[in-house]
Amino acid sequence: MSNIEIGLYSFPILLLLIFLRVPIGLAMFSTGFVGLSMVTGSTDIPLAKMKSEAFTTFSSYSLSIVPMFLLMGHFATLGGMSQALFKAAEGWLGHRKGGVAMAAVGACAGFGAICGSSLATAATMSRVALPELRRYGYAGGFSTATLAAGGTLGILIPPSVVLVIYAILTEQNIAKLFLAAFIPGILAALGYMVAISVYVRLNPESAGIGPRMPYGERFRAMVDVWPVLLVFLVVVGGIYLGWFTPTEGAAIGAFGTGLIAWFAGGLTRKTLGESFFVTARSTAMIFFIVLGAAFYNGFLALTQVPQEAAAWVAGSGLSPIMVLVVILVFYLLLGCLMDSLSMILLTIPIFWPIVQELDFGMVTMVELQSARLSDLIATGAEIPAALLTEAQALLASGQELTREMTRELGLRGVSTGSLNRINVEQTAIWFGILVLIVVEVGLITPPVGMNLFVINAMDRKTPMVQTYKAVLYFVASDLVRVAILVAFPAITLVLLSW
Amino acid sequence: MHRFFLSLSRLMAILGGIVLTILILLIGISVLGRSLNTILHSGLAETVLGGMAQSLIDLGIGPINGDYELVEAGIAFSIFAFIPLTQITAGHATVDIFTNMLPRGVQALLGAIIEILFAAVLVMIAWQLYHGTIDKMDRGQTTFLLQFPVWWAYALSLTGATTAALVSLYTAYARVYQLFTGVTLITEEGADH
Repeated sequence: MSNIEIGLYSFPILLLLIFLRVPIGLAMFSTGFVGLSMVTGSTDIPLAKMKSEAFTTFSSYSLSIVPMFLLMGHFATLGGMSQALFKAAEGWLGHRKGGVAMAAVGACAGFGAICGSSLATAATMSRVALPELRRYGYAGGFSTATLAAGGTLGILIPPSVVLVIYAILTEQNIAKLFLAAFIPGILAALGYMVAISVYVRLNPESAGIGPRMPYGERFRAMVDVWPVLLVFLVVVGGIYLGWFTPTEGAAIGAFGTGLIAWFAGGLTRKTLGESFFVTARSTAMIFFIVLGAAFYNGFLALTQVPQEAAAWVAGSGLSPIMVLVVILVFYLLLGCLMDSLSMILLTIPIFWPIVQELDFGMVTMVELQSARLSDLIATGAEIPAALLTEAQALLASGQELTREMTRELGLRGVSTGSLNRINVEQTAIWFGILVLIVVEVGLITPPVGMNLFVINAMDRKTPMVQTYKAVLYFVASDLVRVAILVAFPAITLVLLSW
Repeated sequence: MHRFFLSLSRLMAILGGIVLTILILLIGISVLGRSLNTILHSGLAETVLGGMAQSLIDLGIGPINGDYELVEAGIAFSIFAFIPLTQITAGHATVDIFTNMLPRGVQALLGAIIEILFAAVLVMIAWQLYHGTIDKMDRGQTTFLLQFPVWWAYALSLTGATTAALVSLYTAYARVYQLFTGVTLITEEGADH
C-alpha cells in the first residue's frame, strides 16, 4: 500500500471507530499511531515521538487560554451574572409579545461575551430563564428551544474556545478572529429574536406577556450588568488593542470574574472545588482530542493526503464558492453527530489546505493598490501631481498600476505576494467564522443536537418532540444567516479593515 | 476501591486547579508589573519619581521574568492532572447515537474493549513520558530564561500521567467487571462541551 492509500483508508476507519463510540481523541490517537507505524515501517518512530509529543502538546502557552476561559465562564456563573443579565434584558423586552424569550436570547448573548462555551452558556442561562418563562406561560418546547439556540451564542460571541483552536490550527491571529466574530454574533442574536417573533405570531397561545417595568427599574437593572461589560471590554478589547496576549487576556478575565464571584459571595471553598472539577473534565476532554488530532494530523501530513486533496480540488475546475458550500453542508451534517471542537480538529487540517488554494477574490490588486495609495496621500508624502492623477485614473478604471508607477509612487509592499497573504488571511477568517456557525447549527439540529438534549433534560415536563418542533425556527434563522454571510464576506471582515 | 480512585482523581483535579490558579495570578501580576513599569519609565514619571521603577523591580514588582516558561511548565501539569477525573467520570467526547441502537450486552462489550484500549494508550503515554523525562535529565537541558532543568517540568507532568494511567487501569477493570456481572461501577455523567 502506498502512503497515500494508507492516508485515504485511515479516514473511514477513523469515522467507524468514532461511530462505535470510541472517544474521539482516543480514536484519532490510535489511528494516527497505527498509521504512522505503517508508513514508517515500525512502531519505533511513533513511540519515540510520544516521549515528548504529549508533553509539548499540553505545555502550550497559547492553548493555556482554553482552561482559563473555561474557568472564567464558571466563575461568571458563580458571580450571578446570568441572573443580572436576564433581569436587565427582561426589563426592556419582557412586556412585548414573546419578549421574555427574547430577553433570554439577549442574556445568552451577554453571557456569551464572558463565556467561551456553548453548552455552559445554554445550561447556565436555562437555570435562570426557564422558571421565568414558565411563570409567564411560555410553552415548554418553545422555552427549551429558545435556550438551546441562545446557548450557541456562547461560542459565537467572543471569547470563544473553538475559535482559539481554529486560530492555532490555521496559524491565524486570535484577536482578529474574535473581532470578526462580533458582527455575526450580534446578527445571530437578532436573527433569533426575529425567529421568536415569527413563532409567537404563528403560535399566539405559546407565549405570555410579562409586566411592563418602569424606566427607573430598567436602568437600575442595566447598572447591575457592569461587571460583565467591564470584563468583556478589558479582555476582548485588551487583546485586540495589543495590551496583552490572548493568554494574558484570558488570565485577566478569569481573575476578574473570580473576584466578582467572590464579592458576590458565590465563590466559596466548595464552589471553587466544583469549578475545578468542571474545568478539569472539559479541559482534559478537549486536550485529549487536541493530542489525538496532533498525532493523527502528523501522520496524515506524512502521507501527503491534505496536499494532494488540495491540489486535486484546485485543479478540478470547481468554482470556489461551490467547494465552500459543499464543505459547509458537510459540516452541517457532521455537526448533528459530533461536538464542534472535535469536528474542527478532525477536519480543518484537511479542509484548510484546500480552502487556502481557492481564490474568493477577497481583495483584488486594484483594491490593494488604491488602499495603499490613499494611505500614502494621508501620510502627506510628496507625489508629483501628474503621476498621482494618472495613477488614480488607472485605478478608477479598474486597472492595475504598472510596475514603474508603483516604484515611482513608492508603493512598496504591493506585490502579488502581499496580495496573496491578505487574501489568505481574509479567507481564513471568513471561513473560520462560517465553519463556527455551521458546526453550532449542528448543536441545535434535531434529532441529535447536543444542546437540545442538555436543555430538555433540565425541563422534564417537556417532551423532546416539542423542543424539536420549536427549534426549527431557530435553525431556519441560522441558515438564512449563513447564506447572507457567504454572499457578503464584508459583513464578517468589515471590522478588521478599520 | 471506586471511592479510592475517585478521591485520587479529585485530588489531582484540585491540584491541577490550584496550579492553574497560580498561573492566572502569575500572569496577572506580570501584566500589572509590565504596565506599571511602562508608566513609571515614561519621561514624566522618571523625573518626578526618580528611580521608583527600578526600586519596584528590585522588590519583585515588575514583569515577571520568564513567566512564559512557568506557564508552559505549569499548564502541562494541570492538564495531565485533569485527565484522571475525566477518565473516571466518563467525560470524554463520544458519538453515541449509533451504539445506542445496539443491544445492551454488545454495548457493554464495546465499552470494555474501548476502556482497555484507552488504558493501554494512557499507560503507554505515561511510560514514554517517563523515558522522555530521563532523556531530558541525561542531556541536562535547561529553559532559556529561567535556566531551570526541563526535566523538572516533565517529572511534574509525569505524576499526572501516572495517576491517569492507574485510574484508567481501574476503569478498564470496572468495565470488564460490569460486562461479566452487570454491576455498574462507573456512572456516565456525560461530557461537558
